[in-house]
Amino acid sequence: MPELSDRVGEVIEASTTEFVAECYELYELPPLGSLVSVGDTSLEMFGIVYHATTASVEPGRRPIARGKDEASEEEIYKSSPQLEKLLRSEFNALVVGHGGGEAIYQYLPPKPARIHSFVYLCPSERVKEFSQSFDFLNLLLNTSLPVSVEELVAATLRQMSQAQEDKQTFLKAAGRELAVLLSSEFSRLRAILGRIVPEDG
Amino acid sequence: MALDLSKIVTQVAAMAARLRASSRERRERLEHALAVLTSQDDIGRLREKINASRTTWLVAGLVDGLDKCYPAPPVPADFTVIASDGSHIDVDRHRSTRCYLINIGSVTLHYGTNPGAVLDSLPRLYAGDEDLVIAAPGQRGREQPIEGALLGIKRGVDECRHLVELAVAVPANNPTLALLDGSLILWNLEAYADFVAEELLDNGFLTCLEELSKLGQEKRLTLASYISFPRSTDVINTLRVAVCPRETVDSDRCPACETRECDSLAGVRDRELFTSLLEPGERSSLFISSSKIQQRYGAHQVHFFYLRVDAEVARIEIPQWVAADEDLLSLTHTLVLDQCQRGHGYPVSLSEAHEKAVVTGADAENFWRLVEASLVEEHLPVTGSAKNRSKRTRWV
Repeated sequence: MPELSDRVGEVIEASTTEFVAECYELYELPPLGSLVSVGDTSLEMFGIVYHATTASVEPGRRPIARGKDEASEEEIYKSSPQLEKLLRSEFNALVVGHGGGEAIYQYLPPKPARIHSFVYLCPSERVKEFSQSFDFLNLLLNTSLPVSVEELVAATLRQMSQAQEDKQTFLKAAGRELAVLLSSEFSRLRAILGRIVPEDG
Repeated sequence: MALDLSKIVTQVAAMAARLRASSRERRERLEHALAVLTSQDDIGRLREKINASRTTWLVAGLVDGLDKCYPAPPVPADFTVIASDGSHIDVDRHRSTRCYLINIGSVTLHYGTNPGAVLDSLPRLYAGDEDLVIAAPGQRGREQPIEGALLGIKRGVDECRHLVELAVAVPANNPTLALLDGSLILWNLEAYADFVAEELLDNGFLTCLEELSKLGQEKRLTLASYISFPRSTDVINTLRVAVCPRETVDSDRCPACETRECDSLAGVRDRELFTSLLEPGERSSLFISSSKIQQRYGAHQVHFFYLRVDAEVARIEIPQWVAADEDLLSLTHTLVLDQCQRGHGYPVSLSEAHEKAVVTGADAENFWRLVEASLVEEHLPVTGSAKNRSKRTRWV
């Protein structure tokens, strides 16, 4: 069962291929490319965060510049405490698999997520279990998104590598998988590989 | 096209030209008014003259003079502002069901060490027989339907009732400003029978003020209402009394007056006067409203002052228990000003309460659709007026 502390938001829009979730706390967004899950252990759905926005709750009310006379950005939020209630952070996740019990299937689930389902950031153990297979890469590479798919694939692999004991081995294995999937698209492959060099090495 | 703007262009231009022609005269009147305001040396005598005068126009009573300017005291480090505002869907006699809806928006804002905000809205449907009319106690058949202007007044009472609930919930350690939009003086109740004022004012609004005043004994709580761009002329009328050469002013005798000294002040509004007198952030002297309905207010008799917020002058109304307490008066001045500065000219708590309360035309339409759908579910007739149908289904 996911931990309450890992709960990052709630589904407010859902389709077969993706869902949109609203964060409980302003700016408390899961990172780009992180693995999130919806539902419980009997029917769990996995998503990769591919896009996030923070904007006014009401479409007709745009934020205005407020900090001219403030010493810091933090002061703006302190002197206008209502801002926390008038702005909201949302993120979109691409559905990349689902699970039931121990099994994880890296293909689309039979039904979309339910509205108001809780969204959890997968803990390292779950990320490790999920990333034992790279089948999800095929789903990612064949999607049309408002962000570059290469950026997303690279961000996902970087995020997943954080959960592995041996990041290098994991990234090399992912690179080999990508080389097969993108055998005829060298420039795309290069764009991804160039972005998954471990930041500490 | 319903309104042909091309047909009124020349009328609008003529109006602008008329205003331009009279602008010099208005400026001269304003300068004269300022001179009269600042030259009243014997306030005691003027106060007596005001008390003795009988006028149909509202004359501001005096407390601490006429032309005082008070700078804003420092803002406390930690404080709370609570505010409520309302919106309603009126009874529509062309609809099949007689009911109305009041939506109250409420805001609690904590500033200082532990900043925070609670924004909420509370819609309530009124459809019971007792909700739709105010009945005269002990007089069968004598009743006043709640709709139109009276519904507006009832909404004001609900706003204040909600403010009491917010005030009960705020922690006692923080100084708190409770803020309402508009006037504390429910003067339009004067047009209704006594039992209506008894229900809405004595048993409604004034009861809420009483509760707030009691809470004020436990907490450092002050109450004010905010009127943006006020049209009032109470202080100008005081100056009219001041310039009148007669010992006692009686407006019944004004038509026979030949000298008409007070005409030199005509057309000037209080806000213009105080825009010239006050520096940004300053408040005016304290005045007492002489509205007839005030006779019912007792310990909550409404006082007011003008506050210069950057570009405009607002009228701030406060009950007597705030006016008489130097500390609460200063707190009101500084916190209302602070709210305006945070809200770019208008109290941020009131604008957020309004945002939570507002019911748009589309919301009202959805509401009526929901009502009608629920009636259909219950197999009840949903026939509205032919006029309403004709408005909704337009044809050529």
